[in-house]
Amino acid sequence: MSATRIVITGMGAVTGFGFEWQSMWKKMLRGEHCIRPWQPEGVEDGAFPVRYAAPVDSGLLPDYLQGHPAWQMPLEKRSRFGWVAASQAVTDSGLHLAQLREAAVLCASGAPAHMLQDMLLTFSDEPHETPAWRHLMGRVEQVNPAGSLCQSNDRLARLIADGIGCEGPVINISSACAGASQAIGNAFQMIRRGEVEVAIAGGADSVLSLDTMTALYLLGAASSEQRWGTELCRPFDRHRSGLIAGEGGAFVVLETLERALARGAIPYAEVLGFGSSLDGYKVTAPDPQGRGAALAMQTALHDAGIAPQQVDLINAHGTSTPLNDAAETLAIKAVFAEREHYRRLAISANKSQFGHLIAAAGAPEFIVTALACRHDRITPTINLHDADELCDLDYCTHQAVNRRVDVALSNSFGFGGLNTSLVLGKYREHA
Amino acid sequence: MNTLDTRPVYLTAASVFNAAGSECADLHGPLTIAQPLDFDPARLAYCVKTPRLPADVFDRKIQRGVEPQGARLLYCAGRIAPALSALNLPSQRIALMAAIPEVDGPSSCWDAVQAIGEQPDALLAQLFAHTPPLHALMMLNSSVMAHVAQALHCNGPMGGFCSQGNAGVDALIEAFHHIADGRAEAAVVVSSSPNISPALYLRENAECPVNAGPQLYGEGAAAVLLTSSAPTSGPMALRVAGFGRGYSASPERSNAVANSVIKQALSQEKLCLSDVERIVADTQDSRLMSLFAETGRVIHSSRQMTGDLGASALLTEVALTFHDDRSERAQAHYTLLLNHSRAGHWGALLLANEVMEKHA
Repeated sequence: MSATRIVITGMGAVTGFGFEWQSMWKKMLRGEHCIRPWQPEGVEDGAFPVRYAAPVDSGLLPDYLQGHPAWQMPLEKRSRFGWVAASQAVTDSGLHLAQLREAAVLCASGAPAHMLQDMLLTFSDEPHETPAWRHLMGRVEQVNPAGSLCQSNDRLARLIADGIGCEGPVINISSACAGASQAIGNAFQMIRRGEVEVAIAGGADSVLSLDTMTALYLLGAASSEQRWGTELCRPFDRHRSGLIAGEGGAFVVLETLERALARGAIPYAEVLGFGSSLDGYKVTAPDPQGRGAALAMQTALHDAGIAPQQVDLINAHGTSTPLNDAAETLAIKAVFAEREHYRRLAISANKSQFGHLIAAAGAPEFIVTALACRHDRITPTINLHDADELCDLDYCTHQAVNRRVDVALSNSFGFGGLNTSLVLGKYREHA
Repeated sequence: MNTLDTRPVYLTAASVFNAAGSECADLHGPLTIAQPLDFDPARLAYCVKTPRLPADVFDRKIQRGVEPQGARLLYCAGRIAPALSALNLPSQRIALMAAIPEVDGPSSCWDAVQAIGEQPDALLAQLFAHTPPLHALMMLNSSVMAHVAQALHCNGPMGGFCSQGNAGVDALIEAFHHIADGRAEAAVVVSSSPNISPALYLRENAECPVNAGPQLYGEGAAAVLLTSSAPTSGPMALRVAGFGRGYSASPERSNAVANSVIKQALSQEKLCLSDVERIVADTQDSRLMSLFAETGRVIHSSRQMTGDLGASALLTEVALTFHDDRSERAQAHYTLLLNHSRAGHWGALLLANEVMEKHA
């Protein structure tokens, strides 16, 4: 709880739906998705087990980057997506560059593509030092020669800071799929404690390359199911089989309400709290009881000074993996147990519509949650036709729901049990 | 203005691992010498052998499931585990902050480049059939956080940071706030340097660092334990007294940002730079040293013993300050530690060495 109120005044998003949050929001409300057949470049048809993803139409990137130095740089896709999203958020906020000099930049941009090739060579006497493995790594280089060897993990954060002229803290976050939510949560905390007055926070990622998708497949995280076609991503459904990777990026501009009002900005929503936790259970699986996830939500609510009964909506992590969705449901039931409030909650899983943006996942979901607070409209969880018996909450299936949303949570749970939860509220002039 | 008017935060334990050794005192030992690299004998660096993880803390299988930088980080985390355990805190009140660089293997990735086109597509199936999932895990640099959380029973607030050499500053500052604001009673802060690999030098060439110059990298790791109560084992306690951070890739703006960062770090204690007895910074960084050119101040550094440890550089110096301030070497009340990444991040941390009331 704090006297300093922090609001969202700018948003930008690049997803498989397009290059603006406005079109993403409209399509999501219509119940559309952007999941399509996908194969990694350089692999013959049918050779790769993962067949579907939610890619960004990179052919449109020049329209958004032309004239900007980022277009001339040998950047990985994720940095291009991130730059477009961050610059849109700044434009959307109405802030001039001079007003952003003291701003902080917090960014989660996933893992660089060169790691896997180094990894195999680390263990040269291991069984995986096979011709096939070496061949795969060679193909990684063919696919992504500029990006894979030469770019630091924090390249995007610095690109944004340099492009906008920010001289505040420039922080790159590395906490797996909770990364972008941690970036937004840390930005919120930095503003609240007075370290900065304004921050650009979010993330960008692209795992749609041979090497990273191989790792996600080997870990058992990515679905290789064929029978549902593009309706493969089905959070909380009995037939869910793993995540469907998306790509893109999203950023928000956060600032103090006082500063926003002083310059005539109209906030989209208010950020009320942030919580994080660690499962400490297994590196390869979430705690099946959802204890870490529950702790993150409880900490966030406590941080916001919000009682569980005040929450209307949870934007779930909802990965469509067997373990996550059941554990997240249990966690929600534990946190909202009093008077069975969990039965009155609306729960929405955006990954059914734009896939899993991995390190960036929390950022577009945060934007969707903010818009739900602003418009009292909840995007649906699509493809949920046959709910798992362990998943028995109101997931707002198939169609958008018109319902008042005063307070909402946005959950992100990273691989290895790194959990975050953000609390948002409808913007009101008086708290 | 940063608000540190909350409850105090103390350093309670620290551990290091680097070319000088595995004890803080080793950093005061005989000068270590950088060695030629296997993949490029014309380059020198301070490389280390991968340490064995303490078997009483970590499952033995983990040793094979992390690459060297992860092993170094876990090794240091394991060595502060007894101090954490002795606090008897509920696991939900223990935070974990990690400064984790991108993962580069220590061997030449150029070998992989040379393998392009050697094998037909059909071998992909062989790859899937013979690759253990554990190896795929290593691509996630944050997976080491899961290992630490599991072994040290940390279930509280978390954060992973990867802002080059400033990641240690970010991790320490966030850990400080989790305790100061009451979200945790203790915080484990862990860090590792990047592995010294060709990719490290390729990135350096590709990204035109702000403070370019001959760079001697080192491999190492460091971990510290922060707590809400001062350690009871000695008369002195090291308190986190201030911090600041900023960024500029512009040579014209860099010094202004640096001075602002120092001012932030000193502001809470209402100090001037002349009030600080000890300054620790990279003496090979010309831009950093230019800040003190007219003051005649002696700048301390252990970098000549370790090389540039990247994300674990600052925590290594913090660990050394913690060690020194508990020994006869203790001379300074205030120590200011400065960090300047090659990309342009600036970080400052102020530590206060205090006599505890019962010993005063």
